[in-house]
Order: sequence, then structure tokens, then C-alpha cells
Amino acid sequence: MSGFDFDVIQRSVWYLFRDGMTFTVTLTLMAMAGGIVFGTLLAMMRLASFQPLAWVAGAYVNLMRSVPLVLVIFWFFFLVPYIGAWVIGEKTPIKVGAFWSAVITFTMFEAAYYCEIMRAGIQSIARGQVAASLALGLNYWQTMGHIVLPQAFRNMVPVLLTQTIILFQDTSLVYVISATDFLGAAAKVANRDYRLVEMYSFVALVYFVISFAASYYVRSLQGRIAVVR
Amino acid sequence: MISVKNVSKWYGAFQVLADCSTEVQKGEVVVVCGPSGSGKSTLIKCVNALEPFQEGEILVDGISVGDPRTDLPKLRSRVGMVFQHFELFPHLTVTENLTLAQIKVLNRQKDAAVAKGLKLLERVDLSAHKDKFPGNLSGGQQQRVAIARALCMDPIAMLFDEPTSALDPEMINEVLDVMVELAQEGMTMMVVTHEMGFARKVAHRVIFMDSGRIVEDAPKEEFFGTPRSERAQLFLSKILQH
Amino acid sequence: MNYNWNWGILLQAEPGGSGSYLQYLVVGLGWTLATALAAWVIALAIGLVVGTLRTTPLKWIVRLSNAYVEVFRNVPLIVQMFLWFFVLPEVLPTGLGDWMKQMPPPWGSYVPAVLCLGIYTSVRVAEQVRAGIQSLPRGQGMAGTALGLSLLQTYRYVILPMVMRIMLPPLTSEFMNIIKNSSVALTIGLLELTGRARAMQEFSFQVFEAFAAATAIYLLTNLVVVLGMRALERKVRVPGLITAQGAGAQ
Repeated sequence: MSGFDFDVIQRSVWYLFRDGMTFTVTLTLMAMAGGIVFGTLLAMMRLASFQPLAWVAGAYVNLMRSVPLVLVIFWFFFLVPYIGAWVIGEKTPIKVGAFWSAVITFTMFEAAYYCEIMRAGIQSIARGQVAASLALGLNYWQTMGHIVLPQAFRNMVPVLLTQTIILFQDTSLVYVISATDFLGAAAKVANRDYRLVEMYSFVALVYFVISFAASYYVRSLQGRIAVVR
Repeated sequence: MISVKNVSKWYGAFQVLADCSTEVQKGEVVVVCGPSGSGKSTLIKCVNALEPFQEGEILVDGISVGDPRTDLPKLRSRVGMVFQHFELFPHLTVTENLTLAQIKVLNRQKDAAVAKGLKLLERVDLSAHKDKFPGNLSGGQQQRVAIARALCMDPIAMLFDEPTSALDPEMINEVLDVMVELAQEGMTMMVVTHEMGFARKVAHRVIFMDSGRIVEDAPKEEFFGTPRSERAQLFLSKILQH
Repeated sequence: MNYNWNWGILLQAEPGGSGSYLQYLVVGLGWTLATALAAWVIALAIGLVVGTLRTTPLKWIVRLSNAYVEVFRNVPLIVQMFLWFFVLPEVLPTGLGDWMKQMPPPWGSYVPAVLCLGIYTSVRVAEQVRAGIQSLPRGQGMAGTALGLSLLQTYRYVILPMVMRIMLPPLTSEFMNIIKNSSVALTIGLLELTGRARAMQEFSFQVFEAFAAATAIYLLTNLVVVLGMRALERKVRVPGLITAQGAGAQ
């Protein structure tokens, strides 16, 4: 090893964070928001008394959970342009950048995992709560929106956040579609300056610090938010 | 007001209600009792369609509960219900518990709903607790809030499903006092309970159920005087010893 | 959708001359399984040891094991792949590093991939082992000690055999994860199933046939694993011992 070159990190750190980490964090937050919304809908479908709806949602979740994320990223990278063309009625596939392709992929993929979390959350709410809400005259959507989901969501906040930390780490896989996320940006510098050791060690360190701090925070949160019953 | 005609219900092959029929007139207080598993809670839940039933008919104020065309939320909003385990919403404050359905179902203005809620909270003597969460109240207090929550909807009748059986003994009376007062004001009430003191004091009729059947349906004096069936006699002798 | 489907492509010869595209993908599955199984051995061995150590009363050993778990849990898998493939040979003594770099393909990718996946998964196994041991009634350990067994014997003969049974369902899902995660090895040049589907797409331009075939193969593999594990679970079932269904697992 020909001496660890701190200088290359110092030279590129601004680029790594301004371009790379911004991409990574934006992607994580958008996929989290989209994934939780879509996942909650899937969970409600899985718990619906109308069987075909439950079956469709179940099949979707199991499919997503059975296939490697890398393959799902490839699927959507090639599929989204065709779907986009079909939606707006174009003949040829439309152009979708790596960022939006990734947002759609991670939203659809993580929704399967958020779905299972929200399903457990909904099932943890006592049946009597639903009965009481219905007895007051609230309909299904009001019962879900005002009584069940707020409680389910609150009970599940630590698990949802833990899943989001996993999502944050998983977004680094957009490397396979050559996106410039934090890892992608570092890889570009690494290959240009031939400083792979420095750049990848630095990337590992940054991911470690962020993920470790975040999971430490979630653990302390877990202790604090016991639901008052 | 409430009329139950030949209602039968099964869970799979197991029959929980067998050909039950009874009437509750306007202003009448009817107590339903019987051993556990006799179907009394199931029957009262059928009245506002929280439990479906396969045969027979239930009419509330002339509207058929089992008819798929019936607007169930609207019907339920007119019938108050109090549960064994209170079922206050733990993530909402006492005031929010009292106003949620008024605002969302009856479309009342928030100010009006809060005013109504506080008035009824005052009535169950809990005004001081309006901003607390249910988890910070005792069982008896929670049940009184639950009664106030049901009354906020200006119900035409009230259903009580074992309202005191999850309470510590020293809290039972504070809840029963509220219920007695309601009865004396002329509220139509159907009450599943083992509190025979309550039944003696304010009930007009007592229904005794066993194995999904209505075994006895008699005016209070008659029921406590000489119950006709052996099962009812046995049941009474068991719970009146205490 | 304006796409020319051609399922016949799967039976056409792939340019490498090894046979049809379908055969090419099936060989990819072989590499996927070879990677996953070898890594699984490492993951189980280290995971059992580290998970067990985390439940012992030996304070600094617990701390050391916790540190191990935290490090490998909080760095993304693909970054760990790069550390094993690009960084490790450079920081090792020159002889060893050069030997790693000069391994012929596919071993030059396979060995780092197996080590990386094995250790990455070992921390997850360790978590399951720890949770499994802590879910056992405390009386079991005490009963072992009361019979005069040493700490080591108590673990070996009393605690671990029971924990292994409790852990079968969560371990099944970890094993399926390792199969899926082995696809990340394509980033360091291992042509496993996903990598070959990607390559097939590049040679043939039949994107969706390639990915659909790979997806179907993954689904079939999952099915086989689930059925196999269920059979195993039935075989080792102990009357009266409830299994912690997916305790703490995804």
C-alpha cells in the first residue's frame, strides 16, 4: 500500500456530499414517504374482507420479497420508460433519468416491506376500538383514518424508522444503473484518480456513522414512546 | 323502539343465537342477564349491526338493521353504545373523544361539538379532566367519559354491553349512578349486566338468556318474585348470594 | 406497449458458445447457489458463536461481539463488497494481496463475494441467535447449571439445541436473503443469475424475457427452499415447544 492519501478525500468531499449524498438522502426520503403511503394501502388491501383484493396485495408483496433488489432495479429501469410511454400515449419509450427511475423502484419495492409493518400495526389495534368507532357512526374510511391508522402508525414508528435505515443503505445499489448517489459519486472519483482504497473506506465510514447514529436514536425512541392505554 | 324478531345467528356450525324475539318500548329500560356464553352480548351487538345475523329481523325506530340498503353509519350514530372495555380512543384527548363523531358524522361545527361535549362531561362530573388522555383516567372515569361520548350524539336509545364488569369493585357505583340517572330521565336503554341491584332499581323488564335462547322475558317484579324457569332461579340464587 | 416479444430467444445460442440462453441462466443459478451456500456456512458458524457470546455474562466479550455486529450491520452490502474486492488486497501484506488479485476468474470474484456475504449475514444470524437464546425461559439455563454442567456444556447440550429449533423459521428467511443478496456480487464481476440476466439483455436486447426468466427462476428457488425448510421443521419438531414464528425477522 502506497500510503493513505487523505488529500483525495479532502478534494472531493464537497462534491461527494453536494451531489452524491443529496441524491441518496432525497431518494431515501421520497421512497420512504411513497413507500409508507403505498404500503399502508397494500396493508389495508391485505386485511380487506373482499378476498380478490387481499389476494392481489398478497401476491404483490410476496413477489417483491422473493426477488433480489438488484433485479427489481433493472426491471424498473427498463420498464418505466415503456409504462410512461403507454400512460401518455407515446409510441416510443420515454426518457426517464436514473433518479426518477430509482424513486419509483424504491417506492414500489419498499412498499412491500412497509406493508408488512403496517399490517402488523393495524392488527395490533384491539377489535373493540373498531367496534367503538363504528358504533359512533363513523364509516370504514373515517374509522381507518381517525382511529386505526394513527394508533397503528404510532405503535410502529420505531420499526418504520428501522426499515428506513435499511432503505437508506439499500439505495447504494443504484450504482448498478450508474446513478450518482453517494457511492456512485465516490466511485467516479475513485476510478478517475485511481484512489479506490481511500474513497471506498471513506464511503464505508460515512455510511457507518449515519446508520449507527440513526439506529441508536431509534433504540432510544423505542424506550420512550410506550403508548398510553 | 327496538324490536327483535326471530333472530338466529351461527358461527360456522355453532349456533350462538336461537330464535330470539323481544321488544323495547320508548322510554323502557330492559336488563339482559344470563351466564357467560349465553349470547347476551352477541344479541346486543346485533342491535346496531356490529355483529351480523343470518335469520330474523331487527328494527330500530322502524329501520331494518339487517337490510343491506340501510345506511348503517347513520343508524349507529342514533344508537349510543357503551362497551365492557370502555374503548375510548387512546391517542385522542377526552375532549377529542367526545367531539370526533359529532364533527365527522353529524357535521357539527367544532365549537358546538366542544360545547356539547363539555356539557355532558360536566354531567358525569369529569370537567376537570377534559384535556387528559384516556390512559391517565381510572377505569370508572373512562367508562363515564364513554357514556358521555355516546350521549353527545343525542341517541334515541342506549345499549350497554356489560359496562361494569371490567371495573374494580370500588368504581362500579360511580358508573351505575350515571346509568340510574339516565334511566330515571326516561332514556330507552338495553343493558347487558349482572348488576341485579341496578335491575331492581330502574329496570322495567328483565330478559334471561341461556345457550343462545331467551328463556325468560318478564316484568321486573315477576322476574325477581318467581322466575318461571329453573335455570333462571339457579342463576339468580348464584349471583344474589353476594 | 410497443415491445417485440420473443420468448424463443431463451432457446437460442448465447454468444459465449456455452449453449442456449436458458442454459446460460441456469448455470447462473448454479453460481448463485454456490455463493449462497458457501457464505451460509460462514454465516452460521460465526453467527452462532457471536450470537451466543452476546448472551454470556462475560462483559468485554459481549462488548466486542456487539461492536462486530454494529460494524457489519451499518455499512451497505455493496460497499462491503467493494471493501473485500478492491480495498482488502491493497491493505494486506503484498504477497497475500497479489495472490488475491491474481486469482483467475471467476474465483477472483467468487472468493471475496463469499467472504463478504458470509460475514454480512453472520451478524443477522447472530441477532437471531441472541434473540432465540433470550426467548428461552431462564430456568433452562439454571436447570443445566444445577445438574452440574459447566457453562460451555449448558450451552452445548441444553440451550443451543433448543434455540436451533426455535430459530428455524427466521433462519429460513435469512437463507432466502442470502440467495437474493448474492446478486450484489455482480458488481464485482461475478456472473451469477442476475448478472447473467443483465448480460443476456445486453447481448440479445430482449430485456424483459431475460429479466422475466430470471425472476421465474428466483421464485422457483424460493419455493423449493420454503418447502425444504418446512419438511425439516416437521422432522425436528419437539412436542410442546412453540416456535417463535419469525421472532424479530422480516
